[in-house]
Amino acid sequence: MTGATSRLLARLERWGTAAEDASLVLLLGSLMILAVGQIVLRIFFDSGLIWADELLRIMVLWIALIASVAAARSKRHLRIDILSHFVPERYTQVPGIIVDGFTASICGLLAWHSIRFLQITIEMDDTVLVDFPSWIAYGILPVAFLLMCYRFFVLFAKGIVDAFSEKKIPEAAK
Amino acid sequence: MILLGLLLVLLAVFGAPLFAVIAASAMLGYQKEGIDLMAMAIEVLGISQMPFLSAIPLFTFAGYLLSESNAPGRLVRLTGAVLGWMPGGLALVALGACAFFTAFTGASGVTIIALGAILYPALKEDGYPDNFNLGLVTTSGSLGLLFAPSLPLILYGIVAEVSIDNLFLAGILPGLLMLMMLSGWSLWVNRANRKPLATFSWRKVGASLRESIWELPLPIVVLGGIYSGFFAVSEAAAVTALYVLIVEVVILREIKLSELPRIMRESMLLVGGILIILGVSLASTNYMIDAGVPQKILEFVSAFVTGQASFLFLLLIFLLILGAILDIFSATVLVVPLILPIAAQYGINEVHLGIVFLAAMQLGYLTPPVGLNLFIASYRFDKPIMTVYSATFPFLMILLLSVILIMYWPNLSLFLVPG
Repeated sequence: MTGATSRLLARLERWGTAAEDASLVLLLGSLMILAVGQIVLRIFFDSGLIWADELLRIMVLWIALIASVAAARSKRHLRIDILSHFVPERYTQVPGIIVDGFTASICGLLAWHSIRFLQITIEMDDTVLVDFPSWIAYGILPVAFLLMCYRFFVLFAKGIVDAFSEKKIPEAAK
Repeated sequence: MILLGLLLVLLAVFGAPLFAVIAASAMLGYQKEGIDLMAMAIEVLGISQMPFLSAIPLFTFAGYLLSESNAPGRLVRLTGAVLGWMPGGLALVALGACAFFTAFTGASGVTIIALGAILYPALKEDGYPDNFNLGLVTTSGSLGLLFAPSLPLILYGIVAEVSIDNLFLAGILPGLLMLMMLSGWSLWVNRANRKPLATFSWRKVGASLRESIWELPLPIVVLGGIYSGFFAVSEAAAVTALYVLIVEVVILREIKLSELPRIMRESMLLVGGILIILGVSLASTNYMIDAGVPQKILEFVSAFVTGQASFLFLLLIFLLILGAILDIFSATVLVVPLILPIAAQYGINEVHLGIVFLAAMQLGYLTPPVGLNLFIASYRFDKPIMTVYSATFPFLMILLLSVILIMYWPNLSLFLVPG
């Protein structure tokens, strides 16, 4: 890998993390304020925003998917974690590459079918929140799965590169 | 098909993220039934149709905030002032404080990190044997997940479509049973060293109450708000999160504003992991129910068991194995929809089933090979994993006994539940 590419990748990494953090802060903050605001409106003014409940649920969807992208970056997705504790690292390397490749392709498939679904909602002029086009609210679906696909693909590619370079410098990683 | 299924299991064992494995199995099922895979997207969007789901990110965030502040220390001092006069006081303090803290942080392992770091050295200083301390702190890390508003209870309520308010009530007595049995065991083991932590003094209680004045209203807000009919669970979560945020950041200033993004991200990593599994599981569960999987399991099971008692026994064995392999969240999302109809056939109340399910899953935190608490403790206290296994084993046995009691004594769970 040339220096320029790795610098670009590192920059992408930083921006990506910052974007995830910023959206999570924004979403979680507005989730709290909107939900509490709704309570205040109900108790003290005996009223409420009609679309608030639906918006809250869409925000939870966004939090779920963006946090899922973040979990992919931080390698924190829930998994059955047996081998990493008991099998030495060099034996889990090849299965690890296969697993990352598998996950990347599943995320890719999910992204592809989400896009197909979105196309239909656009054709049908489906709306949420009274008259807001639903594809914008649901658009997070393919975006999140594509980002996860990219994330696991990077891990997959890195695994392959490491596997080859390790033969030249054994145990260098440690 | 079977071959592909085995391949997926193999991938899961090799550490593939569970959401990918579940999504793949759902897609295989859809493919086989000739359903357009676009349905996957529709199913995942089901996350946005679930009521109360916002309680999960909000409570998790509140719990992480609390664990990053000085609240754990205040909680230990308060419990110490209230319970410390009893013989074996510090052990009881540890159990009580951890149970309370876990209820608020959702059994994600933060209890061991936040409270264990204070309690473990304190127990040692007080002359308790090292193995006992290690076992106690490791076990306490998931104690209290039957108490409201713990994340697993909320998740079970959402997945099983059972009233979360009722689940909160149902968890109280079984949770207390676990707490009392572990306390009894701790007192018995340390009968030679029955020194109280300190003498009781109203002044100390008063001081620790004053110190915790900002956190004390929390249980009242959450439980009082829910049971007076003032709040729904998700609203209580929003109030809790905003309240904790204001108290720890603005009033007490124990958490810097600049630390907030990190804490939010950290707490949401767990939430994202749980909710994405929930999303893809909606797809796989729908497929399995359409394919009649629960009926097939029921036919298979009824060949072995006839009555409720023997079914419960079989369920216990199954849950213990499940808990040893899967974390509590994935297990709830994946397995509960399948066992609910079967358990109903054997006349098991769905609220009782929830408590049994979660109590059994709590053991999963402590069972080899993958028990989460074991690894967190081993890492946190720098002990070999085998040492943690053996130190935790007696506690595990006590908890197993309590799970059996909870299982065969439905009224313990249902006593406080109205209707």
